[in-house]
Amino acid sequence: MKERIGVYICHCGGNISDYVDVERVRQAVENDRGVVLAKTTVFACSDSNQNDMVDDIKKHNLDGVIVASCSPKLHLATFRSVTERGDLNKYTYVHTNIREQASWAHSDDKIGATEKAILLVKAAIAKSRYAEPLYPNQFEAEKTIAVIGAGISGMKAAVSLSDKNTSVILIEKENKVGGHTATWGPLAMSDEKGSDLSHRIYSDLLQRDNVTVLTGSEVISSKGSIGNFTLKVRKRAQQAGDPVETMEFNVGSVVVATGFDPYLPKAGEFGFSSYENVITLPDFKHLIDSFSGKYLEYRGKRINRIAYIYCVGSRQVDGENRYCSRYCCTSVIHAAIQAKKKFKEIYNFHFNRGIRTYGKQELLYAESLQQGDIYLQSFEDAPPQVYAENGKTKVKIKDVLTKEKELEIEADLVVLVTGMVPRADNSIGTMFKLPKGRDKFFNEVHMKLRPVETVIDGITIAGTCQGPKNIVESVNSALSAAAKSYSYISKGMLETEPIVAEVNTDLCAWCGKCAEACPFDAIGQKDVNGKQVAVINNSVCKGCGMCAPVCPPDAINLINYSSEEIMSMIEQLAGG
Amino acid sequence: MASRINPKFSEELKKYGSVNFNACYNCGTCTAVCSLSTTDDSFPREMVRLSALGLENEIKESLKPWECYYCGECTTHCPQTANPGELMMSLRRWLTAQYDWTGLSGLFYKYLPAFLTAMALVLAGVLLFANSVNGELEKMLHFGHLFERTAIATVFVVIFIPNLLRMWYFTVVKPGGKVPLKTYFTALGELFVHMFTQKRAKECDDNHFRWLEHLILVFAYLLLLFTTVFLNWFSTGNLFVIILGYLESAFIFIITVDFVKDRIQKKKTLSKNSGPSDWFFVIWLLLMGLTAFLVRLFIDLNILEGNKWLYLFHITVLAQWALLIVPFGKWTHFLYRSFAMYFVKIKSVYPAQ
Ligand SMILES: Cc1cc2nc3c(=O)[nH]c(=O)nc-3n(C[C@H](O)[C@H](O)[C@H](O)COP(=O)(O)OP(=O)(O)OC[C@H]3O[C@@H](n4cnc5c(N)ncnc54)[C@H](O)[C@@H]3O)c2cc1C
Ligand code: SF4
Ligand code: SF4
Ligand code: SF4
Ligand code: SF4
Repeated sequence: MKERIGVYICHCGGNISDYVDVERVRQAVENDRGVVLAKTTVFACSDSNQNDMVDDIKKHNLDGVIVASCSPKLHLATFRSVTERGDLNKYTYVHTNIREQASWAHSDDKIGATEKAILLVKAAIAKSRYAEPLYPNQFEAEKTIAVIGAGISGMKAAVSLSDKNTSVILIEKENKVGGHTATWGPLAMSDEKGSDLSHRIYSDLLQRDNVTVLTGSEVISSKGSIGNFTLKVRKRAQQAGDPVETMEFNVGSVVVATGFDPYLPKAGEFGFSSYENVITLPDFKHLIDSFSGKYLEYRGKRINRIAYIYCVGSRQVDGENRYCSRYCCTSVIHAAIQAKKKFKEIYNFHFNRGIRTYGKQELLYAESLQQGDIYLQSFEDAPPQVYAENGKTKVKIKDVLTKEKELEIEADLVVLVTGMVPRADNSIGTMFKLPKGRDKFFNEVHMKLRPVETVIDGITIAGTCQGPKNIVESVNSALSAAAKSYSYISKGMLETEPIVAEVNTDLCAWCGKCAEACPFDAIGQKDVNGKQVAVINNSVCKGCGMCAPVCPPDAINLINYSSEEIMSMIEQLAGG
Repeated sequence: MASRINPKFSEELKKYGSVNFNACYNCGTCTAVCSLSTTDDSFPREMVRLSALGLENEIKESLKPWECYYCGECTTHCPQTANPGELMMSLRRWLTAQYDWTGLSGLFYKYLPAFLTAMALVLAGVLLFANSVNGELEKMLHFGHLFERTAIATVFVVIFIPNLLRMWYFTVVKPGGKVPLKTYFTALGELFVHMFTQKRAKECDDNHFRWLEHLILVFAYLLLLFTTVFLNWFSTGNLFVIILGYLESAFIFIITVDFVKDRIQKKKTLSKNSGPSDWFFVIWLLLMGLTAFLVRLFIDLNILEGNKWLYLFHITVLAQWALLIVPFGKWTHFLYRSFAMYFVKIKSVYPAQ
């Protein structure tokens, strides 16, 4: 129980004091129980005030400090460190926001704003009485990192990690590495073959002592948390007669790079599976890469006129896939150019919804136009139609570039420009409880500022498992995920916030309600003197507080937010 | 009925001189900068689009290529260097070939050797004729004058009238317009105004000097034609007619020299891509003016008898001009353009369907 509390009430230049009578606030709290010092200050965050606070703590032998000022997002960390400089534990500091919550919110009611500020400060004093010194949880971290999925993203992440002082375990489900990239011939922009690119990186990986590549292998379970995950990996029999191996690895962090599935059109979607000459973009790429001959043929028939239908499975208005798959405009235009160069008498017709060859990829669009490819455009409400007439496959469209005139072509081949969708097999997502975004790909914490981290500490996401990307973008995100994963464990020791849940084992009767409520899987079960009780994994718990209110005997407290603290604050806010 | 796209059409159009129009990505900048394009009657993007799609029927129905006077603004501003101005020019050549029932226009535009052969044949004809009259100047002058009159009449009746009728059919009748007869008369003014003044070209920005040059050239040319054919310039003793002829022919060759200079310097957008038909047109016009001037001068100095070759040269240029360049070459643009403005006027007033 704190008995020597110092309270600082900030003017914030005028941001607060223009509406809140800060002097009245000071007077209202200066005689509260435990308060030995109450001051107002023009800028609490200024260097001079910070130094005054440090002196005050020492001179008045304070054991608790409160600043009533702006949002804790702005200055909680500032004043915690001031408290530390005064040789107090930083968690004894309590922050209260009378700017956003009082002066700015009630600029039309100065008296009301002042009264609210008084209550907020009184509540902070009530909380401060209970504030205990806390210490971050520290533990040792494994210096091995697992990468799941050996596509271009996983392999590049592994290369990057192996350059650092760590061991890497690269786990690939299929019997060969490279993912989709390994199946492509010449790639857009660079014209290097995807198979060559993938092979080059794989050869590099094989040279490295600190990398273990496991193909034909899957992670079947994961236990533990950041710094100490235990992964169980099952390696399939590579040849008949081989045993199925199960291995266990302890790793400090995991890079998930499980990639994407190409969208598979529904039966009848733009004639797919109704007409045999309607194929998907991946099929078309494989066709032009593998076919040799003067003229292109498909199923024994000569191909001259090719219709490409864009955005199939992407940018759906009614369907689930609202997003743009990003890679496909560029990839199909590149494939069309390749086809025209490689085979005679190819005419390309692009039925698009607006071309998205962003950045340097625009050059491909220009090249395709110059070689005479024809672009026809419609909006989402009037897609092109694929139909058969007199044994011919035809495509028609109301072209917005020609006054919505109805135009048609006879196509020897219709290529559906299919987008990317999340892997149908979500075993990894389920295992790690990775949240998914609106588009059903794995979700990052913040799309701009924390683009490769997940809310599960220690797990990063790389490449197309996070959303559609081309190879450049996949590799960018893989390198960044590798750096992030490495940074978790680079020191060998990990620290986590001490504000976590705490179980009173005397009260707990293990009903399991808390474990159900916890979104982070931080609650387990253990035996204490022959009784089953809940146990919190401190390195996983985020201190969100979901468990506390659901516990029937009130056996769970959140450290720093105990029931007593919260109740005493509410009492003050309700007017004492 | 949905229209059929024909990607091979661009290959055909290339033979008529189009450059890189496939690069168009339909931004519409060209239409926005064209000072002749209007909201209801917009070009050249639309024509670029129809050409890329190869919608021949739609192009054949269109009068828009004739509404363009090739100021070159669109080409200057096109971000894709798709050269819309040159495309409009090529479409005019292509349309000329479509209107021409003989098919010779198309042949001459597409295959230069065919045109050169025809030019050589005309030269041979002139030489044969000179031989058949034993090079007697008097007879040559007489026949020359006779030839001028018959050639003009024949080209008019055999080539121009049927071709104009075809143009009218393609652009007015076929698209289904029901035009009351009266409109043809009320719109007639448009035809003559445009034929003699090319007034729309003046609306093109920064083009006034060229427009003036063009206007003078048209008048000088038509007047010279009148002076030689009907006033018999080469044989007349009337001082006024003699001086008039000198002035007209001088104007013709001075202005055409300037045009040739532009095409050689390639400074203006419109003179950057000169096709053979463009070269023949200005050079032959220049030669006509020059040789006519010299022939009359030699007559006045009394030295033509000793320099019959000059007259032969003049009559060859004249015959090639009248038999090939006028009916099948660029000269027709002047005629079709005027009629196009007439038809545009007619189409704009007939009752909406
Ligand atoms: C038709 C087409 C053409 C393209 N053309 C180009 C182009 O020209 N240029 C370009 O830059 N990009 C192109 N792309 C995009 C490119 O293919 C992707 O950017 C790239 O493949 C993404 O790599 P990735 O490693 O993220 O995913 P993937 O290639 O999907 O690799 C993921 C890997 O993870 C493995 N995996 C999945 N689940 C598990 C699991 N549970 N356990 C273990 N392993 C698992 C998979 O087997 C696979 O090997 C094209 C894409 C398509 C569809
Ligand atoms: S990249 Fe192009 S084809 Fe692919 S979804 Fe986006 S707009 Fe459609
Ligand atoms: S505080 Fe949140 S994260 Fe921690 S155990 Fe409770 S519910 Fe789970
Ligand atoms: S400015 Fe060029 S690219 Fe744009 S519409 Fe005109 S021709 Fe096409
Ligand atoms: S050349 Fe001039 S008149 Fe012709 S379309 Fe272009 S901008 Fe218009």
